[in-house]
Amino acid sequence: MAMTIDVERLGGTTPVTVIALAGELDASNYEQVIDVARNAYADGSRGLVLDLEHLTFMASSGLFALHSAVRIMRGETPPDAEEGWGALHQMAQDHDAQASSVRLAAAQEPIARVLERTGMLRLFALDGTRAEAVAALQGA
Amino acid sequence: MTTPAEGKRSISVPATVDELAKVRAFVRDSVSRFGGSKRVADDLAHAVDEATCNVMLHGYRGKAGDVEIEAAVRDRRIEIRILDRGPIFDPTTAQVPAPGAIPAPTRPGGMGVGIQLLRTLTDEVHHSARPDGGNELTLVRSIDGRHEED
Repeated sequence: MAMTIDVERLGGTTPVTVIALAGELDASNYEQVIDVARNAYADGSRGLVLDLEHLTFMASSGLFALHSAVRIMRGETPPDAEEGWGALHQMAQDHDAQASSVRLAAAQEPIARVLERTGMLRLFALDGTRAEAVAALQGA
Repeated sequence: MTTPAEGKRSISVPATVDELAKVRAFVRDSVSRFGGSKRVADDLAHAVDEATCNVMLHGYRGKAGDVEIEAAVRDRRIEIRILDRGPIFDPTTAQVPAPGAIPAPTRPGGMGVGIQLLRTLTDEVHHSARPDGGNELTLVRSIDGRHEED
């Protein structure tokens, strides 16, 4: 199954971009997610919601894309493919998932399981719905 | 007692990541035909995706080639075999982060999280070098639930 990406830009004091992923996120399409995050930041968005309600599969390449999105929204360059683990450990230490500018919404059970198994929940706040994620970013 | 493998099925795909969706669909369909649950199908499809992606990106490295996937069930254990002609690589001995460690997907489809996942999603992983070149990786998962799923 291919993946579709639906992007919505929201105004407000904190401009937020909502990226809805549907289908299966794997090594053939993860770069599209990084590109969308990069464009969102370039266009002024300082909060990102990844709406995972219709995402049915996420491979480790997808985790890489999510991690890249966190770096992009922090104004940093995405992790280099050859970069070691040191920077990641550092990032996790000074990172507060609840204060993250990237939030994951409505993750299905298989996706949530992958995030938990790989320790990624330390980097992301997980919200039940897209609306909750947007509200958390906009301080509503 | 070991019974012969039942309903052995296989597919062969070109070594490109565009084929991963087809590989996952094949694994899910096989597990379903063998009577496995959706959970077992999800876990095995994911493990096979990571292993196959490794072969495609880090074994063949863009060179033309094929990956063959075989699925069979024996003694209520599902066995998925991944066969390639790439350089010898044994993910069962590769260094990976501890489960639940800080996210380390530093390389998409690369060593690290992918290998960690393929180990945690299966009961057993066996590697052997094929006598005529390439790797044979076997992933085993009980068709019945595991303790963590109770």
